[in-house]
Amino acid sequence: MAGTPVTLKGGSLAGALEAQRERLLPCVHCGFCLPACPTYNRLGDENDSPRGRLHLMLAVVEGRLDPSSDAFQTHLDRCLGCRACETVCPSGVEYGTLLELARETATEARRPDVFSRALLTVMGSRALRALFFLGGRFMRVTGLANVAVRRLSGDGIAGKLRFALAMLSATEEAGLERHGRASGSGAWVSAADDGSSLTPSPPVGSAGVLHGCVQDGLYARINEATARTLDANGFDVRVVTRQDCCGALHAHGGDLTTARRLALRNIEAFERVGVDWVVVNAAGCGAAMKEYGVLFEGDAMEERARAFSDKVRDISELLVSAGPRVGAPVECSVAYDHPCHLMHAQGVTAEPLQVLNAVPGVDVRVVAKADECCGGAGIYGMTHPDLGARIGGDKVAAVRDTGADLACTPNPGCMMQIGAGLRMEGASGEVVHPIELLDQSYQRAGYYT
Amino acid sequence: MTQTLVPTVADRLRAIVGSDHVITQPDRLVAYESDGLTAYRVAPRAVVLPETTEQVSKVLEVLHGEGIDVIPRGAGTGLSGGALPSSDGVIVGTARMNRILSIDDQNRLATVQPGVINARLTKATEPYGLYYAPDPASQSACTLGGNVAENSGGPHCLKYGVTSRYVTGLTVVMADGEVVRFGGAGLEAAAGLDLVGLFVGSEGCFGIATEIEVRLLPKAEGVRTLLGLFDTMAAAGHAVTDIISSGLMPAAVEIVDHATIVAVEASVFAAGYPTDAGAALVIEFDGTEAGLDDDANRAEQCCLAAGAIEVRRAASEEERIGLWKGRKKAFGAMGRIAPDLLVQDATVPRTRLPEVLARITEIGEEYGLNIANVFHAGDGNLHPNILFDRQNQDELERVERASREIMTLCVSVGGTITGEHGVGIDKRGYMPLVHNEVELEMLRRARWVFDPGGNLNPGKVVQ
Amino acid sequence: MTLVQDLRSALPDVAVRDGLEVATGLRGGAEPELVVSPSSTSEVVEVCAWAGRQGLGVLPVGRGAHVDPVRDGRFIVLETSGLTGIEEYEAADMTITARAGTSFGVVDDALAEHGQWAPFDPPSVRTRSIGGFISAAAHGPLWAGYGALKNHVLGATLVTGDGRILRLGGKVVKNVAGYDLLRPVVGGRGRLGIVTSVCLRAFPKPHHERVLVLSDRSVPELLDAGVALGTAPILPVSIVVSGPLTELDGRSALVVRLHGAESTVDADQATLESHIRAPLDRVHEADSLLDEIRDRGGVESRCVEVSVLPSRLRDVVSAMRNVGFASSVVDSYAGRIRIGSNSLEREAVDALRGAAEGAGGALRVVRWAGDDRPAGTPQREAEAGLSERLESIFDPDGVLWPVRP
Repeated sequence: MAGTPVTLKGGSLAGALEAQRERLLPCVHCGFCLPACPTYNRLGDENDSPRGRLHLMLAVVEGRLDPSSDAFQTHLDRCLGCRACETVCPSGVEYGTLLELARETATEARRPDVFSRALLTVMGSRALRALFFLGGRFMRVTGLANVAVRRLSGDGIAGKLRFALAMLSATEEAGLERHGRASGSGAWVSAADDGSSLTPSPPVGSAGVLHGCVQDGLYARINEATARTLDANGFDVRVVTRQDCCGALHAHGGDLTTARRLALRNIEAFERVGVDWVVVNAAGCGAAMKEYGVLFEGDAMEERARAFSDKVRDISELLVSAGPRVGAPVECSVAYDHPCHLMHAQGVTAEPLQVLNAVPGVDVRVVAKADECCGGAGIYGMTHPDLGARIGGDKVAAVRDTGADLACTPNPGCMMQIGAGLRMEGASGEVVHPIELLDQSYQRAGYYT
Repeated sequence: MTQTLVPTVADRLRAIVGSDHVITQPDRLVAYESDGLTAYRVAPRAVVLPETTEQVSKVLEVLHGEGIDVIPRGAGTGLSGGALPSSDGVIVGTARMNRILSIDDQNRLATVQPGVINARLTKATEPYGLYYAPDPASQSACTLGGNVAENSGGPHCLKYGVTSRYVTGLTVVMADGEVVRFGGAGLEAAAGLDLVGLFVGSEGCFGIATEIEVRLLPKAEGVRTLLGLFDTMAAAGHAVTDIISSGLMPAAVEIVDHATIVAVEASVFAAGYPTDAGAALVIEFDGTEAGLDDDANRAEQCCLAAGAIEVRRAASEEERIGLWKGRKKAFGAMGRIAPDLLVQDATVPRTRLPEVLARITEIGEEYGLNIANVFHAGDGNLHPNILFDRQNQDELERVERASREIMTLCVSVGGTITGEHGVGIDKRGYMPLVHNEVELEMLRRARWVFDPGGNLNPGKVVQ
Repeated sequence: MTLVQDLRSALPDVAVRDGLEVATGLRGGAEPELVVSPSSTSEVVEVCAWAGRQGLGVLPVGRGAHVDPVRDGRFIVLETSGLTGIEEYEAADMTITARAGTSFGVVDDALAEHGQWAPFDPPSVRTRSIGGFISAAAHGPLWAGYGALKNHVLGATLVTGDGRILRLGGKVVKNVAGYDLLRPVVGGRGRLGIVTSVCLRAFPKPHHERVLVLSDRSVPELLDAGVALGTAPILPVSIVVSGPLTELDGRSALVVRLHGAESTVDADQATLESHIRAPLDRVHEADSLLDEIRDRGGVESRCVEVSVLPSRLRDVVSAMRNVGFASSVVDSYAGRIRIGSNSLEREAVDALRGAAEGAGGALRVVRWAGDDRPAGTPQREAEAGLSERLESIFDPDGVLWPVRP
């Protein structure tokens, strides 16, 4: 059954949303979500708030609003999908799930723009993706991306291109080697509570790492660091072949059919190897994969998908469950920002900071309003240049306010967004994943020899 | 049927606030058809979102000139339909007026725009060791402009009092666009009537407050939180009376009843309250660290003497949040067990609580309705939550009848029809229970004093 | 038929005296036509209606100690002293309802029996009628801890100028059923109607009161210390700086009061002392000291009050040289100064008003014997206009005889 598209009931005016009345009803219209919403905070329009968007969805379900209407299309499209609203919702409304279904209904009613469709097509195909990222790495390695960021103007198509290239150039490696080592050998040993974390623990289960699309294409080093640090903490890391993009981008864009096709491939790939844990180092992918069960709701696949979702862990969750071992010092300061899909969608906030704690010498400065979206949200900066720039600009300012050497956040999308924002402002814009720091720390500690 | 706005009027409004901040397309007005009370839905003709006092003034001047009704709206969290549009009215929203204009720590004052969120003001004043005392349950979302309009309360108002105690001065845009200053700290000795006090709680009928000066308090050094669990509501009610008459001054005393405990524990917000308890009492003391343990011990004794099964005490901020959880998540939890929820609001003298609660249970049984009670026990402010399904027409009517009976009951024991949610549109029909025709007429005339044309939030409070 | 005869025949049950018999309170030489002492709300209604028909003004008087008639013309005095007694006191609910002419002392004694009190402390409070001090929104040194009087007035029965009875507020602490018409009545100085009954909020009596004093300093130093205490992390219930006090052998002093459990006030005292880096002397048996502070400005024939932000208090006090600090008491948390003296000069008050207004504050003339009464700070024009409109709905025929605002 590989590759068979799975369809849910729908097809009428309200499409996929139609069956979701029960999911919409828990919203008691209390408005607690409003101040958590980055778009509402900046625009002040109820339509750009979670409550407003849920109300638009309800109106579509009730047949009072046409899903092809400007209101439904524009305001759902303008949502970043950060899900900060879910964290503050007293009624537990599953906004993220509803948003994906609503976007499917919206795209059925009106085709999305060429640019968005093209991007999803590329990400949905292994071959096209490989070609796309090959080009990207070429631009990066030759420095063409950097040059373009400096030369291109800030408006229109050129502005969008400039931002895209800034995102690309932000994926450059930060060069952690140059950050200081503490003088004197063994100074870092004291960082451990006891001797236990200095040696690998006994095997704590088998793990397969999701390679993902962007990580695989531009952040291969993070995937490698993930595998190494897991191994150093006693996990039996297994190679999982024939895996694919997680489908999050497609689900967020309302293309649930492709999302299910990709999800199915991943479920099969990981089942074939039979790992205890499916490890993800990208918050967006982790959130999507933890919700494969919901993606297949009402389908024969549902139970299998739920079993798979139960095994999905963010890399920081797994490492914290095993310790993690304390490495050698890496003297630097980092401006840490919470990825929305880790904090709000997965409820994971403390673990990445605990991972950073295992690196002696790192001065972690959590940025102000770290619980608010950076404006990355896929390619939001290109699809909504003005609003994206405002949201991103605020985040970049908060990062710069910390005065830290590096920005640090455990999600490739956020790394690119923050890095691009910093580079557009002419700052060095080095961004690292916490795992890169841990990896550097472990290398220095000699855990890999 | 909602009328569309004449294009020239819309253009004039756009010229004032910018075209992005005037909403006239019918599809985009759907989101504004209700506030926190979803039982009513009326889409407005337009929504205008100004950013400054000057813009509000110009907008109101245009609308007044055209004879168009104005519905002020803050965050839309109100539970009495105070921001419910009229089909021929225009919403003037304060969402973009969200700047804290000044914090004066020397005199413990802050001046804010009306769209500033209540909890944000407290957060902003924290570095000075200060906070803004009134804490409505919706404080993370509701705005100070809305608090002023509703004279909002909250759990800690038992000790600290409601909004009107803290508002010292206002800049108000009147119905015709005139900008007027009311009061102001330092001007207490000036001649004249207390217009600030009258404006607070006027539910958007007297003007739009565009700058609000409020008094801040020093943050309490410490806090103690207790959870008392009781077999019966009567025993919990006894404990409340004993605590308060023993001379203790708790910062908050809140009760949730058995039905609420069951709902919360069955939800994703389970707080660990035993589901066989008849009532749970959350008691909080704040103040100087040194005296708090004594206060908490005495309150615990009161609870045990009244027959508490168990008294828990929070040892950390985390545990404190845990003890409060069953109270704070009550509404949300109930939103999950029934399609619709009507949060009622009434106040009775504290000593009448037990009999009133018993009677409310009977009313629920008589009308075949599930009623759960959550309330600010310290000041007798009840929030009966009636669960229903609006699709069921018969049930909807029973909800109406039961609500009226509950209101009549509360008034008959010396209470009133709303303690903190306001009259809005929802309680208008109950106003004759507490005011005779002479008094109602006086309320109408009071509106006339501020808005002779009757363009501001018409149809609310009194008809 | 004389007016008295007419009234007697129209309202046979209302107590009435000839105006010339009235002695106390009325200053400025005005003489009422007659004095009536109704004994119920309905009698007040009838008197107002009767006066309206006769074209007479009505001047409500409580104890008569704080009244200045202002308009020319014929008027009668309506004494509320016939309206006495506690109507309802539910100790467990901590609310007490009393008729307007009841002296606060009676209310206070009733509360004390149940270990309760109401934190009202304007000068001579025990002998004043509650209707009277509510109309004046009179306050005292407990403002810091308990806030303004208006916060503790839960309800009132009011007879409007045209004889309508309005029940304002209620007897519950939280009540938002309709616009809060009670607010402008409190402090309305009789402009909106005659209060016939009042419901007050009571509090449990504090377990312990500690009175702390700082003297042996110059007035500016005391004032600075007082203002500084207003920014301490704990809030005392009262912070005042007073001119020379008999109870302190003629010294000026900063007087601070703390309420709470003994352990709490111990800790609070330490906090305050470290905040101003000075020890505070504890006063035992402080009742007469507190009474002296409370009553300052209450009996002198001339009294003015200034309000200003606490941070600007010094500017105003330094302009008080001509007035003299000797007869003053300053609430440094509320930013209020009360000055009572038989020898206050108009020019000095004008100058003080200028200083207060220059510092963003205001001045009110509370009481003034003699004709050269200075003017207080007026309400802003737009506010005054609204106040007048408000007055017109309570008293459409202009029957009520407001005391000078």
